[in-house]
Amino acid sequence: MGTISAAFSLMSQALDADQSALNTVANNVANANTVGYTEETPTWRENAPIIVNGVAYGTGVSETGPTSVRDSVLTERLDQQQQLASASSTRLTSLNSIQALFTPDTGAAKTTAGDIGDDLTNFFSSFTSLEANPTDSALRQQVLSTGAILSGDVSDAAQSLNTQRSALDQEAAGVTSQVNSLTSAIAQLNTQIESTSPNADAGTLEDQRQQDLSQLSQLVGINQITTGSNGLAVTTTSGQLLVSEGQSIPVTTGTSGGMTHFFIGTTDVTSDLASGGGELGGYLTARDTDVPTVLASLDQLAYSVSTNVNALNNAGTDQAGDTGDSGYIFAQPTQVAGSAAAMTVVMTNPNNIAAASAGQGTGDNSNAIAMANLVSQKFVNNMTPTDFYSNLVTTLGATVSGVQTENTAQNASVTQLQTQNNALSAVNLNDEASNMTTLERSYQAASQVFTMLNSILQSALNLGQSTTVS
Amino acid sequence: MRVDPNYVTNLVGALDSTQANEQQLTSELSSGVRVNTLSQDPVAAGENVLLLSQIHQDDSFTQSASLVTGGLQVADSALGSVVSQLTSAISLATSANNGTLSPADVKSVGNQISGILTEVQSLANTNYQGQYIFAGGQSSTSPFTTSSATTPATTTYHGDSDVNYLVAPGGQKIQLNVPGNQIFTGSGTNNVFAALNNLVADYSSGTVNTNQAVTDTNALGTALGYVTQQRVVVDNSINQLGAVGDAMTSAQTQLVGAQTNLMQADVAQVSTQLSLSETQQTALEDVIAQLNNSSNSLFSKIQA
Repeated sequence: MGTISAAFSLMSQALDADQSALNTVANNVANANTVGYTEETPTWRENAPIIVNGVAYGTGVSETGPTSVRDSVLTERLDQQQQLASASSTRLTSLNSIQALFTPDTGAAKTTAGDIGDDLTNFFSSFTSLEANPTDSALRQQVLSTGAILSGDVSDAAQSLNTQRSALDQEAAGVTSQVNSLTSAIAQLNTQIESTSPNADAGTLEDQRQQDLSQLSQLVGINQITTGSNGLAVTTTSGQLLVSEGQSIPVTTGTSGGMTHFFIGTTDVTSDLASGGGELGGYLTARDTDVPTVLASLDQLAYSVSTNVNALNNAGTDQAGDTGDSGYIFAQPTQVAGSAAAMTVVMTNPNNIAAASAGQGTGDNSNAIAMANLVSQKFVNNMTPTDFYSNLVTTLGATVSGVQTENTAQNASVTQLQTQNNALSAVNLNDEASNMTTLERSYQAASQVFTMLNSILQSALNLGQSTTVS
Repeated sequence: MRVDPNYVTNLVGALDSTQANEQQLTSELSSGVRVNTLSQDPVAAGENVLLLSQIHQDDSFTQSASLVTGGLQVADSALGSVVSQLTSAISLATSANNGTLSPADVKSVGNQISGILTEVQSLANTNYQGQYIFAGGQSSTSPFTTSSATTPATTTYHGDSDVNYLVAPGGQKIQLNVPGNQIFTGSGTNNVFAALNNLVADYSSGTVNTNQAVTDTNALGTALGYVTQQRVVVDNSINQLGAVGDAMTSAQTQLVGAQTNLMQADVAQVSTQLSLSETQQTALEDVIAQLNNSSNSLFSKIQA
């Protein structure tokens, strides 16, 4: 048989439970703007009934603490999408600074890498001018000065690209310390979570671990594997272990070929990290693919132009009548790599330009015609120099535009997943207001029942008299 | 259904991208250039390189053409003078050959023809901007000298047979010079200097071997015809330069038009886009302001 005192105890538990639930609501409202906070809901549990003479009597309610509203599949997808988006956005930033070098030429005279196409035409056209009067020293000087503008623009562009490449290298190396501090934080949290909450969501600790994972996945491409006792293993996308439950394995760096390489243990994971995603993936793709592609094209252009012009000039007859040893206009490159950065005009005396063919008088212009004709000859990777440069510009533009589109799509996808995740896990103040009102009413009701019980017990104690206990 | 309580953040993101779009459109309007970076239109950027290259090649050819036209005109007028000098030499020789002149007069004709020889030689040694224009590739040395060690005197050519061309971007080759040996010292009866030297020798003594003198006079006539033919080559080059130059100029106009169409901003279109973007921005700002005004939560409705 239930008793009034049992009902008292039951109601006081209900009041406790309501207070505890109100505490959870208050905590939600307080953390409404906390990054990484996951909304918590009170967990209500009906107390086990007591059975007296075969009759079950309810014993009220308990509030067993808040539970985080979390969808781990959704957060993991968000992390994966974020690592793709941050890789492409990092790559895009560096591609944008590459393409800034090659601003489309408006035809106005200036000297930037974007004018290399123009510089090429002007250089070869200076030989067309020389056809008109092969012995004119002003026209000869023009060949050297247009050559200097061409080589200046090419080597400036190549040097800027090299500078960008080392900047990217430093940025990439800088990411590792952030990665290592995050992985060690995750390992510590793993240990705490495994000891405090091996079988259930770890609430605030879990929020912190999730926040760290989210930051880590923006830096580097990762996979997450849940282990026993609510622990977590983190690997790179190619499978190298970064965190194994309570232990973190640091990423170390070393220099190889002038560039920073990345190691986990003794394994060189540089190329895996480049394709893995995250900021580090973006930096490494830009450093090891995008910049070298443009640089290699410039090198090829500089190499072909320098060697072909030099060979023709050296074989002709210069103003002094020297045949076959007129010398080189550009510094003669020995290999394709590095040709662009080293491109420069080495000829100082315009009379060494060989406008005449071998064996002809100095008034002959057929060698100048041959050099002017180079502009329409396919001697750079089976393309004319202008076509080759145009192709370089189009390819670079298309790459940037492609990465831009990719980045926009990935960001949209991140936003969508973020919205889904927020809909589930973010603090919704309307919900909190309604929960609070409900809990307030429930608390008031419990208080009211308590008062009624008090009054009933008073009547029972006074045995109908209303004076003894009031 | 639960929604993302932070949707205002997304609206602000949309506002940011609208503003970025406006910035891009404004920069197109202010610079007049549609393609400011390669990624905006990679194909147009590549095509722009090719168009500018053609425009500048045409431009450079037009400039070279005007440089060489001067030299060709000097050559043409020199050859014109040569023709008139030779014509007067022939009429002098004809008057000496008819047997009516006294020996003194015949000598005087010989002296006059000798003077014409000197004049023609100096025309053949014409120098334009420091270059001997009838010397072939050996343009730094005077091409013709006459030695009177023999009788008749001998005029020697020191140049070569080298012909220079100006090559147009389309590949047309325009001849820039006619070597002196082709004009003045051709083979057989086409040799101007041999004919003149022979006539000078014919009249030097005052007595005329009429048969020899008539043969030599006829030879000079043939040589004159040959010089006139070579002058046509020069005239043709001048005409060709003019024609190719005109073609280049009109091609250049077309190319500049194409390049402008490709790269320049369409002001009407950009302005329309800008206006649309501004409308969108205003709408977004109004929505955000409205959301801020209306109490964004039930909390404001709860009475304590």
